[in-house]
Amino acid sequence: MAGTQFIYVTYIRSTMEKVFDALMKPEFTRRYWSGTTQVSDWTKGAAWAIFTPDGRKFDDGEVLEIDPPKKLSVTWRHLNAPQMTAEGFSRLTYVLEPQGSVVKLTLTHEIDVENSKLIGAVSTGWPAVMAGLKTLLETGEPIAEFSRWPEGM
Amino acid sequence: MAMASSSFVYVTYIRAPQRKVWDALTKPEFQKQYWFGMHQQTDWKPGSPWKLLFEDGRVADMGEVLEFDAPNRLAIKWRNEIRPDFKEEGFTRCVMSLENDGELTRLTIDHSIDREGAKIITEGISNGWPKILSSLKSMLETGSALARFKA
Repeated sequence: MAGTQFIYVTYIRSTMEKVFDALMKPEFTRRYWSGTTQVSDWTKGAAWAIFTPDGRKFDDGEVLEIDPPKKLSVTWRHLNAPQMTAEGFSRLTYVLEPQGSVVKLTLTHEIDVENSKLIGAVSTGWPAVMAGLKTLLETGEPIAEFSRWPEGM
Repeated sequence: MAMASSSFVYVTYIRAPQRKVWDALTKPEFQKQYWFGMHQQTDWKPGSPWKLLFEDGRVADMGEVLEFDAPNRLAIKWRNEIRPDFKEEGFTRCVMSLENDGELTRLTIDHSIDREGAKIITEGISNGWPKILSSLKSMLETGSALARFKA
């Protein structure tokens, strides 16, 4: 199928449960994911959204699959740029696998749109989010630059 | 696109000075800690031979230094010597770019070959770099590389 896909793999010295929690829970995401919060009751079919620190809904969708601490998949529509909103819903999937003392985290973000602007944009964002997550879990100290919302966005 | 090619691009941010990231990428005493016990052998002069060696001295990969601009940019002509199907695909090109970003260093790996659907990219390089770079980041930020990716 014609589409656009971004895949990123990282290995984190942590436990499956901690990595899974850190991907969803506000007390973690606020510290490494530009100060954002995700709101959902995290059951299949439930609404899901990302909110900026000043309370704007930035992305929304629904939970497609949740199998703690191994897999989480959500639909994802961006709401802050009309061209990206018009592309409709993308799919984000996290897969976690234990490998000795590390967790292999594979992120796949894809959409059935060729040369997608949304996937182009998230391709530059995800490496920073994943780097911030790994640093927070391994050192206990967030990357300061990634714990704040970018000015003017 | 002008030419059929395959590439793997990976970006990460490391909380360490650019010079330290550069040294960790280019000096054997650091490489051995995070790169499956392997290290590189070269004098880093453009045109010089370059090798990636296993702990026991066998050659895993070989090639040539294409560019060396410390601590910003490094390019290597790079061929796998272990798997016949990878070796048959010929030389790849790996470019490492470092940029200072406040307390962080932004590291970009762009590893490519002028061949469509190359197995060296889809089966080799795209599996290896996330492990090596995750381990490098752990080493620089916590003082120890990921045990799984040591020798």
